Amino acid sequence: MFSLFYGLWNYMFSKTEFHVLILGVDKAGKTTLLEKLKSLYLDLEGLPPDRIVPTVGLNIGRVEASNAKLVFWDLGGQIGLRTIWEKYYEEAHAIMYVIDAACPSSFEDSKSALEKVLRHEDLRGAPLLLLANKQDLAGAVSAEDLARYLDLKELNERPYMFEAVSAYNGTALKPSINWLVDMMERSKRTEILRVRAGANGRV
Amino acid sequence: MGILFTRMFSSLFGNREARILVLGLDNAGKTTILYRLQMGEVVSTIPTIGFNVETVQYNNIKFQVWDLGGQTSIRPYWRCYFPNTQAIIYVVDSSDTDRLVTAKDEFHAILEEEELKGAVVLVFANKQDLPGAVDDAKITEALELHKIKNRQWAIFKTSAIKGEGLFEGLDWLSNTLRSGGG
Repeated sequence: MFSLFYGLWNYMFSKTEFHVLILGVDKAGKTTLLEKLKSLYLDLEGLPPDRIVPTVGLNIGRVEASNAKLVFWDLGGQIGLRTIWEKYYEEAHAIMYVIDAACPSSFEDSKSALEKVLRHEDLRGAPLLLLANKQDLAGAVSAEDLARYLDLKELNERPYMFEAVSAYNGTALKPSINWLVDMMERSKRTEILRVRAGANGRV
Repeated sequence: MGILFTRMFSSLFGNREARILVLGLDNAGKTTILYRLQMGEVVSTIPTIGFNVETVQYNNIKFQVWDLGGQTSIRPYWRCYFPNTQAIIYVVDSSDTDRLVTAKDEFHAILEEEELKGAVVLVFANKQDLPGAVDDAKITEALELHKIKNRQWAIFKTSAIKGEGLFEGLDWLSNTLRSGGG
C-alpha cells in the first residue's frame, strides 16, 4: 500500500530526467557548449575552451534547468565516430544540433549529417534545437541565414527552433534550454519513453 | 564517503590526486604503459602476478596508477582495488582480434561493479604499431562502448612501445577529472 502511494507520489512530483543529445560535425563546439552549460547551471567552473580537445567518446553533463533534470550526452563529431551516434538515439528525449556558423565550409557536411540524423526512426518526434554557434566570431551567419542554407525538409512532426548562440561566452544559451525543456515536457516522445522505461521496470 | 572527503580535501588544498586502475587482459600492454608513463622509457616486462603501482605526475594531477595482472586466474582479485577509484584505463591489444570478445566481456563485467560506478573510462586501443591492429572505431564497436550511457568515456589509439597516444589519453583524463568527472 505504501509503495502504491510512494509510486503515485513519485509519478506526480518527481522530476523527469531528460536525455539531450548534443550532435554536430567536428569543431562545431559541442564540448565547449557542454562545458558552458555546466558552468551556467552548476556551481562549477567548467573547462576553459582552450583546454578542450576533440572528443573521442562520450562526455556527460548533468544539470537542473527550468525545474527539470537534464542529462547531456556530447558525442564526438569526427566522421569515423558518427556511427556511434545512433546507438544513443533510442533513449534521447531531444537533440541539440550544433553548427559552426562562422565556418561556411562546414555547412554542407553539417547539413548531410543532420539529414541523416533526422531520417532515423529511433529519433522520431524528438524536439530539435539547431544552434548557429560561434556568434562571438566575426562573420558568423545569423540563425535565419543558416536555416535558409540548411533548407530542412523532413521536419514535419518535430518541434524545432533555430537559435544564434555562442557557447564561448554563453549568449542565448539559457533561453534555448528553456525552450527545449518546454518542448520535451510537452512532447509525445517523452510520454512514449516514460512508458517504455516503466515497462522495463524503471521509474 | 571516502571519495567525498578526498574530493573535499583536494578541492580545499588544490593538490589533486586521482586513483586510476589499469585493467585489461593479459599481454595487453598494461605494465609497458605504466612504465612508459612513469619513466618515459620502454622497459621489458614479464607477466604481472599481483600488481605494479606508480605515481605519475601530469598536468598538476598526481595519478596513482595501479597496474593489475591480467591473467584469468588473477582477474578475480581486481575487485580488491576497486574502492576509491576515479578512473579506469582499459587496455586492449588491438592486434589480438581473436580475444576481442573476451576483452569485451571482461570490460562490461568491470563496469557492472558497484564500487566503480562513478569511475570514468579511458580505453587504450594499444599495439597500434603491430601489423593487423584494428583502429579505434573497430575497438569501439568490438567493446560495445556505446552501451555506456551513464559515465564519460573516451578511446585513444596507442602504441606503448612508440609512446604514442598515451599522454593524449592522460590529457583527457585530467580534463575530465577536473571538470567534475562522470
